[in-house]
Amino acid sequence: MAANSPMRSSRQFRFLSEPRAALAAALARWARARQGDDTPPVTLQARRIYILPTSAGLAAAALLFLMLLAGMNYDNSLGLLLCFMLCGVTLVSMHECHGMLSGLKLLRAEAENTFAGRLGDLQLYFENAQTRVRGGLQLRCAGCAPSRFQLPPASTQVVRLTFQAGVRGRQRVDRLELSSGAPLGLFRAWTWLHLPLEAVVYPAPGGTRALPARRGEPRNDERRSRVSGEEEWAWLRPLQDSDPPRSVAWKAYARGAPLLVAHYDAPAGVHRPLDFALLQGLPLEQRLSQLTQWVLECERLGETYSLQLPQRALPPGHGIAQQRACLEALALYGL
Amino acid sequence: MSARAAIADQPAALPPNTVWLLLGGFLGAVLLNAHHTALWCLPLALGAVAWRARGMRVPLRLPALYLRIGVAALLTLAVLVGYHTLNGIEAGSSLLVAMAALKLTETVRRRDWLIVSGAALFLLLGACLDGQALWRLPLYTAELWLLCTALYGLGAGADAPPTATLLRRSALSLAAALPFALLLFLFVPRLPGSFWALPQPNEAFTGLGDEMSPGSISQLTESGDAALRVRFDGALPPAAERYWRGPVLHVFDGYTWRRRHADVGRAPRLQFQGPAFSYEVTLEPNEHNVLIALELPQGLPDRLPNAFPTFDYQLIAPAPVSRAVSYRLQSYPQHRSLDPLSPAARRLDLQLPPERNPRSVELAHSLRQRAGSEAAYIHAVLDYLRRGGFSYTLEPPLLNLDSVDDLLFRTHEGFCGHYASAFVTLMRAGGVPARVVTGYLGGTWNRYGGYLDISQSDAHAWAEVWLESQGWVRVDPTAVVAPGRLTEGLDELLPGSGGGARRLLAAPWIANAVQAWRGLNAWWQDEFIGFNFAKQLGLLDRLGFRNHELQVLALLLAAGAGIWLALIAWGLRPRLQARAEDGLSRTWRALERKLRHAAAPRAAHECTTAYAERVGRAHPELSSMVTALARRYARLRYGPSASAAELEQFRRAVRLLRANYRAGSGSRTRASSTAPPMKNTSSTRIDSR
Repeated sequence: MAANSPMRSSRQFRFLSEPRAALAAALARWARARQGDDTPPVTLQARRIYILPTSAGLAAAALLFLMLLAGMNYDNSLGLLLCFMLCGVTLVSMHECHGMLSGLKLLRAEAENTFAGRLGDLQLYFENAQTRVRGGLQLRCAGCAPSRFQLPPASTQVVRLTFQAGVRGRQRVDRLELSSGAPLGLFRAWTWLHLPLEAVVYPAPGGTRALPARRGEPRNDERRSRVSGEEEWAWLRPLQDSDPPRSVAWKAYARGAPLLVAHYDAPAGVHRPLDFALLQGLPLEQRLSQLTQWVLECERLGETYSLQLPQRALPPGHGIAQQRACLEALALYGL
Repeated sequence: MSARAAIADQPAALPPNTVWLLLGGFLGAVLLNAHHTALWCLPLALGAVAWRARGMRVPLRLPALYLRIGVAALLTLAVLVGYHTLNGIEAGSSLLVAMAALKLTETVRRRDWLIVSGAALFLLLGACLDGQALWRLPLYTAELWLLCTALYGLGAGADAPPTATLLRRSALSLAAALPFALLLFLFVPRLPGSFWALPQPNEAFTGLGDEMSPGSISQLTESGDAALRVRFDGALPPAAERYWRGPVLHVFDGYTWRRRHADVGRAPRLQFQGPAFSYEVTLEPNEHNVLIALELPQGLPDRLPNAFPTFDYQLIAPAPVSRAVSYRLQSYPQHRSLDPLSPAARRLDLQLPPERNPRSVELAHSLRQRAGSEAAYIHAVLDYLRRGGFSYTLEPPLLNLDSVDDLLFRTHEGFCGHYASAFVTLMRAGGVPARVVTGYLGGTWNRYGGYLDISQSDAHAWAEVWLESQGWVRVDPTAVVAPGRLTEGLDELLPGSGGGARRLLAAPWIANAVQAWRGLNAWWQDEFIGFNFAKQLGLLDRLGFRNHELQVLALLLAAGAGIWLALIAWGLRPRLQARAEDGLSRTWRALERKLRHAAAPRAAHECTTAYAERVGRAHPELSSMVTALARRYARLRYGPSASAAELEQFRRAVRLLRANYRAGSGSRTRASSTAPPMKNTSSTRIDSR
């Protein structure tokens, strides 16, 4: 999540003020330079998996050292053997921990677009082709809640990770950290994934202005014919409380479908022009927010709309594709 | 933590089986230490476990913080009062049990459980340090397995697999760790010496002691515990010469014989005669500091640089033998003294308490007067013991303070200690310097281990008298009372006394099994428990490394550990899941194999129906059959579960394609295009020729 954060100006002195963060950043640069960017599908190779003991692991090492001392002090063979057995188990668990990630396959990674200030969704598709369970896995990125999961043998699984969207524009998820503490929690193996994950963050919807008036009102007879319900509908959506009853697709309901609202292809030219210029006097971001709000409202009402931005105009339309095109245009306006 | 925090297992907490495993592991560790921890430890641990087990269902309220601190302080005080120290295995284990039990009552988080598990592991170590008997090994193994399983469960957290899976995983992990542990065991240098001083354990050992009061014993409990093991380099000494010398007792108060710790004069020099016997002794822990040796040893034991001889031919270790030691010696059963007895030693060994055992003294005087020489006097006394109606028993009557009088003139019953005591008293009263020697007599040859096994029940006491012509001479008065005691063990001597159990133990197969078990124990003690730096060097020697011991150890260790790690990595390498394949898939694949020349192989994305259509397009004559087979396959695969008969029928239908179908080789079919192939198998035959 680093792309939108302002670059620190005093970077060369950072190690003085924040040594930990500076070290982490240096480590991140080094790992990125070493591994390069990932393009799914990615199979995790051993050379990019890092492993270190956890605090529990360090405590276990101290315990083992104490046991060794006690065994040596009493010159006690059985005690020493116990200590050595536990050392062996610890080392086996280290290998097992490494094996939790090694050979894991990331099939696909996607970032969903979202609105500024809201949570977005990352979706990663992992495949475990192995005979062993991969347990204790944890996926996280900077500034998002970690997601824990495990992969049964020979399975594929979608892992969702929510991220906090920043300001409008393109937002890159720079890097993800995939780690595992299994099986004993004495070691933690991790790898960094540098995936081409990019979400478009739309402006946050807002503003109180009413929708602009329709342009190119249909003739009366056209309206009547629509009311009669003889026309073929273009597409359907679930009924909402605010929908007028006459918009319900009764025919479909009669055939056993749930209550749906039918949308008709509006006669050519009847649409609401959402114009940037209508909002003169407002600051830029508020204008974009208001336009976003309008787009969403039009979609909700099933209206056709067009969008006019300076240097860019989107023709009238409606539906998912139109909404997406408009929102992306608003998100990227001026960037 | 607030004073009255409630502990309840959150939904994301450990599953019950993991909690039970952890509690069981802790309890097992406490049980293994039960014999040497304070008495209150086990009830305390049980209470804590019960408390925590209840916490799985009912939210429990913690006692207030000051109360917990108070209890902790109280328990520490209890350990201090009981042991006067917090150091050492017993006090340390008790303290550890107390603190871990207290911790258990407030254990909710993973970290708390880790602490409890660590304490349990350390308790297991404490048990290992204290009890190293072979029979405990399975218990330790089981406990280690249990604790590892619990740790695996703890590591898996909320989504821990069932207990059986955890048990299997930890068993595999332990099995993988075993070679590494053995490697470290063999090659980690056993640096001698203690890092911190430890209090000596105050345990009582059976067998020989610093003093002997035969009159106070009404029943000699035989202990079958091993006392020492002896491996001879060559032949064994004859049975009558197997006297193993232990503490020598000089000082008598009429009732009790005691050792004399300070030297009295120098030991008379010896001239050794006859055959020599070289042997290696492994001495089990005991409560005195005498190193047992075959009579009489020449020189000092090797490997024990601080051992020294005394004026009465004992070999003394600087500290009590609190752990098994082994040493080599050479002994000569025949010898004579080159020096006269020093006056001080003579005084010591003629000393008798005044006015005690008056009748015995009187008897001695009369016998001495009748005998011409000291040798004749000895014979007269032995004759008296032989003819006086004395008998050997392990259950003698108690004696009064004039114990020798009581034995000689009233009870006439006793064991070796009684007769040695009486004989030496009579000798001293008759003017012959004499002393009581305690030790062991005989031993059992263990043919599994190839050593002489001397147990505590072989303990014996005899006498030594000073004859001017020869020096110290061994006289065993018990031999004249019970001649069998010399050549046979007690078992043969006392046939009916032990009842059924003794007879049962005498059954050959049981005796054999006991011998084998003792032999195994001896191996365990000598080779495993007794594995030390010297044995490590011996191992290196046998491996062919003569010098630079530590470097070689380090090298072997590094190489072995590297190989082991590589093997573990190889064993854990990513292995692909073998695709689960049932009979149906196999049958379908057989069909594809038969058709491999008829059409290109089925692509990964291609469904069986599409494949069948493709084959049918390429070979219209096969079309109806292959399509029908594909349709039937789909129904068997995805439809309602098929019966075994249906699957078998499908297999038969595929078998109808009798050989590899070759495109363009003039294949002809007699397939009926109407009848489904399943129903009428004879109508769908395809010949490849």
